[in-house]
This record gives sequence, structure tokens and C-alpha cells, in this order.
Amino acid sequence: MDGSASETNPGAGGVPPAGAALEIEVDGLRKTFGRRDVLRGVSFTLERGGFLVMFGPNGAGKTTTLRVLATLLAPSKGSVRVAGHDVREDPMPVRRAVGLISHSPMLYLDLTAQENLRFYADMYRLDDREERITELLDRVELAHRRYDVVRTFSKGMRQRLAIARAILHRPRVLLLDEPHSGLDPRAVDILDGLLGEIREEHTFVMVTHHIEKGLELATRLMILDGGKIVWEHGAGVARDAFDAVYREHVQEGSVL
Amino acid sequence: MGRQFLAILRKDLIRELRTREMLVSMFLFVMLALVIFHYAFGVDDEADLTSLTGGMLWVTFVFAVLLGLNRSFAQEKDEQCLDGLLLCPVDRVTIFLAKAAGNLVFLLIIQAVSVPVFTLFFVERSYLPDLGLFILVLLLADLGICTLGTLLATISMNTRARDLLLPIVFLPLIVPVLIAATSATTAIFAEGADLGALLGRLGFLAAFDAVFLVAAYGTYDFAIGE
Amino acid sequence: MKKLVSAPALFAYAGALLVAGLLLGFYYAPTDASSMGYSQKIFYYHAPIAETALVAFGIAFVAAILYLRDPQPKWDRLGYASVRLGLLFSLLVMATGMIWGKAAWDAWWAWEPRLTTFLIVCFLYAAYFVLRQVVEEESRRATFAAVFAIVAFIDVPITFFAIRFMPEGLHPAVITATDTGMEGSMFLSFVISMAGMTLLLVALLRADVAAERLRDEIADLKTRIGG
Repeated sequence: MDGSASETNPGAGGVPPAGAALEIEVDGLRKTFGRRDVLRGVSFTLERGGFLVMFGPNGAGKTTTLRVLATLLAPSKGSVRVAGHDVREDPMPVRRAVGLISHSPMLYLDLTAQENLRFYADMYRLDDREERITELLDRVELAHRRYDVVRTFSKGMRQRLAIARAILHRPRVLLLDEPHSGLDPRAVDILDGLLGEIREEHTFVMVTHHIEKGLELATRLMILDGGKIVWEHGAGVARDAFDAVYREHVQEGSVL
Repeated sequence: MGRQFLAILRKDLIRELRTREMLVSMFLFVMLALVIFHYAFGVDDEADLTSLTGGMLWVTFVFAVLLGLNRSFAQEKDEQCLDGLLLCPVDRVTIFLAKAAGNLVFLLIIQAVSVPVFTLFFVERSYLPDLGLFILVLLLADLGICTLGTLLATISMNTRARDLLLPIVFLPLIVPVLIAATSATTAIFAEGADLGALLGRLGFLAAFDAVFLVAAYGTYDFAIGE
Repeated sequence: MKKLVSAPALFAYAGALLVAGLLLGFYYAPTDASSMGYSQKIFYYHAPIAETALVAFGIAFVAAILYLRDPQPKWDRLGYASVRLGLLFSLLVMATGMIWGKAAWDAWWAWEPRLTTFLIVCFLYAAYFVLRQVVEEESRRATFAAVFAIVAFIDVPITFFAIRFMPEGLHPAVITATDTGMEGSMFLSFVISMAGMTLLLVALLRADVAAERLRDEIADLKTRIGG
């Protein structure tokens, strides 16, 4: 029912040995919006290279957790450290270390793909701006649209460009908020291919409703409900077992 | 800071020069206001509007700025670009300075086009010898307008009312600039004032700019989000 | 805050001082020798109300800075209550000023620098309430309100100063006359009224903040029981 229910599954691949550096440390995180308690004491850690997948009904606090990790929201209580830095005291190194992919692409529609990436490259003070942009546009298969205004892009293309935007500055930690929702199949393939490629040297936190994908990618699983972690587990949980667990821990009426 | 400042400014300029949303609507608004002023105040061709010139000009500019400020932040809210901006390792003050600078550039473009037309329409005396002084008044007043306007537009954008709120909070605060700029401008158009006579107002505008630059510097972190 | 004086006592002291100031103003201080005559007596309320309004906005300014440094709801409650009372007093300044204007120069309204400043102040702080109205989330509302309270308070003296750049229209020598050489008896009446008005502000502020706190507590309890 709480954090103590966590067990690591030694059989799961990708989990670094105990004692590996912790990339994310969340301790007693609370977030209140006015009178609404969105997070009521969330604590977890994630070692470097880990892939944490968070499930839970809408309003459970998953996106809020991600936004706190990304320094877009300040914790009301508790301490949150990402890449070794406190998000509140020392946000700049956290921002350099973090990339966020969410359902909205965060791209300027009236700028071209290149202008968007150049803008973000300058904001992150990249030294190899042009090479990096060329490399990434190739990778997300948008090289041919480099000089086109983003407004003319399909949803899938925008999302691909958003992926390029998010990993442009080579973040150590990638935060993914429903990255697969609304993607066309080609974009899903590209995203999955990319995730696989950079899987090794990155740490991931993903929020998703996509159970198959989540179970497949995760080294750590978590269910949030009502602003709390209600279940935590290492990787290697079968789909059927997970569904049972989910029904057991999440209040009725909540839809995954 | 320089590179990030320029990146934001360049992005806003590219975007605006491509869509011309803000500039076109601001320009048309200013021109329409001038025509309306002519019929509202200049009942016949003989009417001498000299004492009203400063007021007409600055009322028009202040309202035109409202249009631009709202647009300038609406585009950051589209597609949640603001989140993308806030994710970047950038001082919030840099964002403020870049946005304010962008708004200043747009205002100056509008003024560069509309002041000659205004002069043609309403100013009978040639103020060419005082042009430098007039430009100084413009720059000092614009700086205050853009400083305060950018701070308040940032707050407005983060509220439910969005563009509805901006005039309500912005106009009462900008009254001092409006007064000083109006009286200085009227003086220049009417009799051609020398630097000495306008020194008080110029100093006042400069002090206003300085005070609110400091205030915005201190509060912008809170205005733009957590 | 420690309550050295109970709320009813505070109101009683304020009331006593205000009555004393008024009585002194009418029966002790001399009647103005100039054309104003008796109408000048309103000065013993008009000016203290104006000063008190500015004190209230000053408190809101300080509360705003405290809130931004340490976001506790109590600073927001103090700021909110101060602005509310400041605005109320500002409206009273306008009302007493207009009454005085009517009596002294037979015009309900004159673009006199101080009165005009208060008119703009009223708009300024009315905007504060509009701003609060359009932000749902409490902590964000408090933050924005604090930023605005700071900027607004800085703007007040600047506005007053700026209005003097305007060509002077109906400028009452009346008010400048009271500035220069106030007689001892006039000064005493004025100071007592002023003390009364300030105490009244403190008493009202305390009651208002307490009411706000109760409102917050009720709202908290309601959310807790799922209301």
C-alpha cells in the first residue's frame, strides 16, 4: 500500500547494481494548489539509467510530479533532487539536465523547424548548434522539412520535432508525459527507436496510459492515486498480474 | 545571458516579421485613431488642435501597445511554448528583458511610421530643430511603457481573464508617463521647447523607467510562474 | 500578533479620539479667516482619512514583500484587508474632498493634484480586486496580487508628482494655505483626529484579517469534508 511495498526484481534487465548513483531523489513531496492537495507525500528514488513508468487515473498527480521534476512547478513541501541538484535551491543545473516531452510540442508554429531548434539551442547555449540540428532532423526524419514553418506540419511531424527539441541539449534525464498519445504510427516507431537508442545513457520517467508499452520499457513501475504512491514494483510484471494489481489499488470509477 | 537574450528577441522578431499580426493591427489602429480624432476634435478645418496633439499621440500609442503586448504573450501560451521557455536554463529576468526589448522594437516601428503621418495631419509648426528632443521624449516614455507593460502582460497572460485584464491594470499605472510625455510633446509641437524647459519631465521619465525596471527585475520571477 | 488591546477597546479609543478631534476642531481651533470659513473644518477628517488610506496601502506594500519572501497565507490576508480598507478610505477622501470643494469653490470636482491622485489611486486599487477575481488558484492569486500591490504603491507618489506637470487649472490656494503655518490649536486637533483615524484603521484591519482567516478556515474544513 505504500513505499515499503517496493521490491526490486533481480531478474529484470537494465537495473544497475545497488549503490549506483541516484539520479532522482524525491522525499516527502507535497504539492498543493490552493486548497487542493495534488501530491500528498510522494517519495521515491531512481538510479542513473533507470526507467520509471508511472500509471494511475487522471488527477492522480502524475503530470504534477513530472512538472516538479522539470522545475516548472515548485514543491510545496519535501525535497526533490534531480541530477544531484535541488529543484528549488539550484534549478539551473536541473534544467540543463532535464528534457521534457509532453502532449503539447512547445514549438513556435510560425517559425521553421530550423528556427525552432536554433532558438532552443541558443537557450541551452549549445556549442555545436548546426551539426546537432542537422543530426537530429535526420534522426526524426524531418531533414526535408527543415526550412518549413511548423504550422504546416502534421501532428505526428510536430511531435517528432518536439522529440528533437527535447533531446537537443543532450539531457541526462528524460521526462515523458504521455509521449505516445496522438502520435501517428510512424512517429511512434521513431520515438520507440529513439528511446531504445538512447536508453543506455539516460534516465527516464514516463507517465502513460499505454500499459503494454509501459510494462515493456520500465525497470520500475509505480501506480499513483490520489496524490500518493499506492504500489511500486521492479520490472517484469505480466500484463494480467498488473491489471489485477491496478484494480486492487485504484479506487473504483478511476479509468486507466 | 547575451546569447539567450538575443535568441528570444530574434525569435520574436522573426515571428512578427513573418506574420505581421501585431504590426499590421497596431498600425491600422493608430491610423484609424488619428482619423477619428480629426473628426472628434477638429470640427472644421480652421480648428486649432495644437494643444491636443500630445494627448492624441500618446493616448493612441498607449492603446496600440495594449494590442501588441497581448499578442506578444498570447503566442507564448499557444502550444505551451512558455513551458518550453521556462524549461530552459535561463534567468527569468533575461526573459523579461528580451520580451520588453521586443515590444519596444515593435512600438518604435509603429512610431517611426505614424509620427510623420501624425505631423502631416495635425502639427502646423515645423519642429525639426527639436526633433532630437522629441525622439528623446519618445524613447524615455516608450521604455517605461514597455517595462511596465511587459511585467503586467506576463501576469495577465497567466490569469483567466488574459487580455481583458491588461488594460485595467496597465492604464492606471501608466498615467504618470502619459502625463509627462503628453505635456512634453505638446510643448514641442506648440512652441518648440528647449532642453532646459523639458529637463524636469525628461528626468521624471528617466526616473520612472529606472524605478520600474528595478521593480520588474525584483518581481518578474513571481509574475512568470513558479 | 499579540493582542495587547481587545478589539472593542481599540474601536472605543479610536472613536473617542475622532470625536475629540472633531470637537477640538470646531470649538478650540479658530475658524479659518479666509473665504473658507467653517467649511475648512472638514480638513480635520479629510486629511487624516487621506493619510490613513496611504498608510493602509503602505501596509499592503510591506505585506506583499513579506509574502514574496515567505509565501504564508497570513501575509496575503493582511495585504488583501489593507488594500480593501485603503480603497474604502480613498473613496472617503474623494467624498470629503468633493464636499469641501463644493463648499470652498462651489464646484463638486476640480482637477486638483491631490484629489486627482486619489482618483487614480482608486482605479489602481480597484484593478487589484479585478486581478484577484480572475485567478482561481490561491497561491498564484496571492503572488500576483503581491506583485501588483508593490508596483501600485510605488506608482502612487510618482502619479502625484506627475500631475504637477499638467497646466494648472482650478488650483485651490485653499489647501496650500493649510499647509503653511498651521496654528497650534489647529495642529493639535489635526493630530488627534489623525491618531483616531489611524487607530480606526488598525481596529478595522484586525477585524478584517480575523474574518478572512475564519473564511479560509471554513473553506479548508469544507474541502476536508469533501464539500
